[in-house]
Amino acid sequence: MAFLISVLIFIPILAAIPTFLIGRRKGVYANRFSLAVSVVILALSLYTYAGILRAGSGAEFNLVEGPIPWVTGLRGIDYYVGMDGLSAPLVILSAFLTVLVIIGSGRLIKEREGLYYAVVLFFEGSIIGFFTSLNLILFYVFFELVLIPMFFFIGIWGGPNRKYAAFKFLLFTFAGSTIILLGFFGLYAFISPPTFNITELVGRIPLWLQILASIAAFIGFGVKLPIVPLHTWLPDAHVEAPAPISVFLAGLLLKMGGYGFLRINLGLFPDASRQFAWVYILFGLLTMFYGAIVAVTQKDLKRMIALTSINHMGFVLLGGFTGNQIGISGAVFQMFNHGVAIGLLFMLSGFIHEQAGTREIPGLKGLRVTMPRTAILLIMGSMAAMGVPIFSNFISEFMVIVGAIAVDVRYAVAILIPIITVAYFLLVLRRSVLSPPVEGVKHHDMTPSTTTAMLLYLVPLFILLAFPSLILDVVNPASAVLVRTFAGV
Amino acid sequence: MDLLSNLIILLAGGALALPGIDFAFKRRVPGGRLPGYVAVAVLVASSLLVGFSATRTLEPAFASNLFRVDLLGVLFSLAVLLVSVFVAIASLDYVERDPNIGVYYSLLIFTALGMVILAFAVDLLVIFVAWELMSLPTYVLAGFSKRDPSSNEASIKYFLVGALGSGLILYAISLTYGLVGSTGLAETFSALTRIISEKELAPLAVLSLALFIGGFGFKMAIVPFHMWIPDAYQGAPTTVSTLLAAGTKKAGFVAAIRVLVIAMTALRADWTITLALLAVLTMTLGNIAALTQRSITRLLAYSSIAQAGFIVIGLAVAPTSSLGLVGALFHVLNHAIMKSAAFIAAAIVIFKTGREDLANFNGLGRRMPFTAFALTISMLALAGVPPLNGFWSKFVLFTAAIQGGLPWLAVAGILNSILSLGYYGWLIKRMYLDDFEGAVRIREPANLSAALGIGLVLIIVIGVYPTPVIELARNAVLST
Repeated sequence: MAFLISVLIFIPILAAIPTFLIGRRKGVYANRFSLAVSVVILALSLYTYAGILRAGSGAEFNLVEGPIPWVTGLRGIDYYVGMDGLSAPLVILSAFLTVLVIIGSGRLIKEREGLYYAVVLFFEGSIIGFFTSLNLILFYVFFELVLIPMFFFIGIWGGPNRKYAAFKFLLFTFAGSTIILLGFFGLYAFISPPTFNITELVGRIPLWLQILASIAAFIGFGVKLPIVPLHTWLPDAHVEAPAPISVFLAGLLLKMGGYGFLRINLGLFPDASRQFAWVYILFGLLTMFYGAIVAVTQKDLKRMIALTSINHMGFVLLGGFTGNQIGISGAVFQMFNHGVAIGLLFMLSGFIHEQAGTREIPGLKGLRVTMPRTAILLIMGSMAAMGVPIFSNFISEFMVIVGAIAVDVRYAVAILIPIITVAYFLLVLRRSVLSPPVEGVKHHDMTPSTTTAMLLYLVPLFILLAFPSLILDVVNPASAVLVRTFAGV
Repeated sequence: MDLLSNLIILLAGGALALPGIDFAFKRRVPGGRLPGYVAVAVLVASSLLVGFSATRTLEPAFASNLFRVDLLGVLFSLAVLLVSVFVAIASLDYVERDPNIGVYYSLLIFTALGMVILAFAVDLLVIFVAWELMSLPTYVLAGFSKRDPSSNEASIKYFLVGALGSGLILYAISLTYGLVGSTGLAETFSALTRIISEKELAPLAVLSLALFIGGFGFKMAIVPFHMWIPDAYQGAPTTVSTLLAAGTKKAGFVAAIRVLVIAMTALRADWTITLALLAVLTMTLGNIAALTQRSITRLLAYSSIAQAGFIVIGLAVAPTSSLGLVGALFHVLNHAIMKSAAFIAAAIVIFKTGREDLANFNGLGRRMPFTAFALTISMLALAGVPPLNGFWSKFVLFTAAIQGGLPWLAVAGILNSILSLGYYGWLIKRMYLDDFEGAVRIREPANLSAALGIGLVLIIVIGVYPTPVIELARNAVLST
């Protein structure tokens, strides 16, 4: 089917308008309508994905559209989209999480619903556009388009301190993305003929320019990932965001940073990345350790989960810049797994907050008695995040660590990370789930339908543990390409 | 007849007839809106005239040593006429009950005429005459709310500074005439190339250059000639502020392009670095000052100063990068649209609530949804968020700066864009995230909203598909 990627990008964006109008009549209609749209998008993206999987064509760009000149006065600004093994898993992740977010929002969002679901669909279209852009300017446009919905999500539907968090988020990410843009300008000004097309730029950038541009990209994507000194917006944003939006934030927005590192830093600036791989890896390790250690000290369940995702995104940086196939594939796989697992944890923390009235871990006692179904789901979600080998998260973390050790045996310190992660999750579980309940406290447990909706998160993790090749057969050819450019062949 | 004669006849005729029309029909047409409609019609007709001529081959003007009908002039006059149309439509609501309404529109059209003549003038004396024709009516317009002390103050301050600016320009013109013996820009260009190598005369040429930068700088709102801007914009009726920020300021730029970039290219070593420094200073000071403002008109005034800095980047790198002038022109056009939209949105709020402090914008998203949405889009465009028109012109400007060998100018521009989101984003936060006590839905006035709607559509359409406008700007630069 021609124009399939454009359909995936623009149907949700255009559907935002009817969603808003429908929502003015009755909020629940907006929910149903946007759910229908997102299910269609999920089906289409799975169809696309299956096509790539069957053809084994993850190494090249599939369903390419363009380059269609967009701004003809300036050479190389084109509408140019395509999907390869790096982007395909993230596209289905986006479509999948959007469906779950819309399902999960039904109970939690009761205010200005039309606007909310319209913005959700706008977000979905923009982020799919981001993952499939093959032109740096298009890439940047979608990068910014994702930022505006998130500002409103946090600012309008967030918690008590939402204005501060939304504004901080806006300034951090806008600053980051503008710095990336500066790097892109540099590429454009010094390459002749000037172009923004990623496929045209590969292998044509001199080393000094690669180094300068990769510094800009490092800062910009580093804010999104986030890398440790640039991460301070993230806990605030998460704590204030409503639970479904935290799913978007941790599940998709952070992946933009990871994808940017792989596609731009590794793919376009391979020589600079090879020379400075140790910098990326050290920042990755720093991020992992910082996230893990600070998570141990948290009292707020949601803040802890937010810090876990900092810790887990460090794996992406570590895996990507090992420069070997197992590491890079592991990084992409990790992004997918983390997106799904962290989504479940955020939805659970939102549910617990709603029922128990608090997210303070010491205030949550005896969940196994008061909310047994929730408790079981919390245990399963924690196991996924810990990397217990009943979910595919285990495989991806394992791959990244193996890849890192293959580069330098000292990077084996990364093994400590899963250990710390296990420690703090067990600590939380012991204090909240396994502790004796406070007398007379009664909470409503999840209804079976909500439980089913939550279990949906675990389905792909379960399937991918048994059949990791469903992802890896698509990712591996693409990471093999990256390995070759990284090696300078 | 050529384009310029048509325009002069149309605009001058309209401007002269308006007070008479007002006097004759005041009693018979209820509401006293007739002069407004006539003014809108005259301005729309002239915009269409200019718009259609952009696609045809241009005939030379009647006095081709004084005027040059080229695409640069067409583009500029189109921009300023569009702004005048916005202002005229917005004024239909804003100055509805004023007894001197005929004079108001007449002065507005005289300003437009001055700007149009300035856009085509290639002789220093004609430039000066057009400059005064454009400025004098705006001094009166700024003080149009004659019972409002702050409007009077704005008018006096603007008049004094404007007179100083005109004085500087006139002095620069006499110096140049003394040096080259002619007031034509083409003769100035060739004579200056010769003079620059003579030891005694070169400093005088540089002095006249500095005086030109100063004189035009007052209108262009570049630091350190900016101090009148916030007071004038705040005191003047907000529709007039729109005209000043989006219209006459642009005329300052066209004069600067004609005189500095084209006639004084020989002195470029002197003005490139000066303008680059002024650009950085202007952007930074404008943005930092805007962060601390409490009134919407002052905030927009400082933002306007900051945007002038971005345009000056293009002028500074014009000799070394072919994209410099393209970017400057494109940003001039975009800024005219974005700033008009922002000022008209502010005018709606001031008109309906009578307050201009920023706290009054709290919860505007619910009280005046369309105005708030349009203001948000124009703010994002001003900040340079894609895919809106401001993004593309900043894009061209920064690329030009890197190409032209002044990459630090692009870095400064980028940092300033981030800084500017501090206040644009803050206002958006106020409109959508903050609550207003006792908020009620306010009806938005039709004519002002229509003007705002046109601006909004232009911002988005140029943002999504900028190609035609960039092409136009490029051809305009080639035509000079």
